[in-house]
Amino acid sequence: MIELEHIVKNFNSDKNHKAVHAVNDVSLTINDGDIYGIIGFSGAGKSTLVRCINLLERPDSGSVKIDGVEMTKLKPKELYKARTKIGMIFQQFNLMPSRTVFQNVAYPLKGMTKEQIQKRVRELLNLVEISDKENSYPSELSGGQKQRVAIARALANDPTILLCDEATSALDPQTTTSILQLLKDLNKKLNLTIVVITHEMEVVKNICRKAAVMDAGKIIESGDVFTIFSTPQHPVTKNFVRTTSNLSKIETLIRDDSPMVKLKPGELMARLVYIHADVSEPLISYASRAFDVEINIILADVEIVAGSMVGGTVVIFNGDPEKINRAIEYYHSKNIRVEVIQDARA
Amino acid sequence: MPELKILLPNLMKRLPEFWKACGDTLLMEVWAGSIVFVFGLIFGIILTVTKPGGIMENKTIYQVLDKIINLFRSIPFIILLTALMPLSRFIMGTAIYVRGVIVPLVFGATPFFSRQIESALAQTDKGLVEAALSMGSSPFEVIFRVYLRESLAPIIRAITITIISLLGLTAMAGAVGAGGLGDFAIRYGHDRNMIDITWITVIVLVLGVSIVQWLGEYLARKNTH
Repeated sequence: MIELEHIVKNFNSDKNHKAVHAVNDVSLTINDGDIYGIIGFSGAGKSTLVRCINLLERPDSGSVKIDGVEMTKLKPKELYKARTKIGMIFQQFNLMPSRTVFQNVAYPLKGMTKEQIQKRVRELLNLVEISDKENSYPSELSGGQKQRVAIARALANDPTILLCDEATSALDPQTTTSILQLLKDLNKKLNLTIVVITHEMEVVKNICRKAAVMDAGKIIESGDVFTIFSTPQHPVTKNFVRTTSNLSKIETLIRDDSPMVKLKPGELMARLVYIHADVSEPLISYASRAFDVEINIILADVEIVAGSMVGGTVVIFNGDPEKINRAIEYYHSKNIRVEVIQDARA
Repeated sequence: MPELKILLPNLMKRLPEFWKACGDTLLMEVWAGSIVFVFGLIFGIILTVTKPGGIMENKTIYQVLDKIINLFRSIPFIILLTALMPLSRFIMGTAIYVRGVIVPLVFGATPFFSRQIESALAQTDKGLVEAALSMGSSPFEVIFRVYLRESLAPIIRAITITIISLLGLTAMAGAVGAGGLGDFAIRYGHDRNMIDITWITVIVLVLGVSIVQWLGEYLARKNTH
């Protein structure tokens, strides 16, 4: 279990001698075996926060407890030992270019015979499915392969925690998916606690069960991923959720004056967002029939997040203004959020 | 070889002296070079790890070392040679011959080599250091297993450049009675206008520099992946 309490970390900016709050009073608990996402725009302080877990950054104040042990009070030697149980992988992989894949993975192994090291390295390379590259140098590998090697190296000393600092941000979407799948498998196989730092909502959506949203050094929202996705509270969170949904394209269409979204008099355009996990009812065709309005679907996007459906549609209502209101009320009663985008009724 | 006697009349008359001059130059290179290597490497490492943001950040040590290096780098070598004569006598017992110039050679080349090492180590990706620390490496492990190992190629290049610049200093040291090729060329080639001696000295030095340069580049490449 990782327990962060009231973590504060300031950096002195050289320009005006004003301290910059990189992390400003953050408390966070991450349970064993969780995959926990920390999402934020660049500069939000998430990279600094994750470095406070293994004390690559020492917090100015606050407490960092891992399995009940206060990390900030450890002596240097104890800290080095503790760090071997907290693996970390990076956006730029950080493999040692003068060492082969084998030597890179062997780097953190200490106090073992040659045979033991060889056995362990091969085990690890098997685990991340890259055994055939044992004697290659990092410069000969693709980004995805490099990250696999980095994961093997991070797991060398059987850590209980794996910190991923933008680990997929330098990878293409397909490779990202395969690395995320690998992390998911490792989480199950080794009961590894994984902390994922990212600016990509896709990543959180893909593998995290719980997440925290960071902005300006603070956690502004946290909880299980489905709740964050379906009912984002903070504007920054809403922004993030929007980046992953096709429903935000409607704004672009309106801005570009697309004929697709030109309303005729009497029409109303709205975004219907499903808040509850159940979108199996035929909501559109039912409302259309029951209230005698035309409902034209412009865009639709429903996704699976943490095993539940999240998403919605952008529709244009056409019909008697009163009947449109009743349809909207019906949706409210079904726990569907209706956001009016344009109204050309009056 | 009678042709050589016609082509290089003055040199052929002084062959034993020429070989001794070559030997003296080599001796100065090896002695001063070895000491410079040890001190420069240590200072370069200290600069790297104690500088702001380094893994053993220490403002005082960094500032003091930084200033001392700048001080010695700004003194022209010919002045350093004469200024350090008392120290030389104290440490080596003499201020002339090969023994007498080792001290000024070390003082002249160490600051240069320290800076070369500093900039070689600065090429190490900060991410590698961070990764090593995250795996539980101590600062000393980071120095030996990351900094020195991962910047082997730039370190080899730094050594090459320093050996070559040290060769220039040994020639200058000849002026205060150190012996060696510089002294040989000045005494005969310049003072007595024996042009063949000047030319041969130049050729030997160019050959020496080329071999060092080639060897350095070869080793650096071999260590780049």
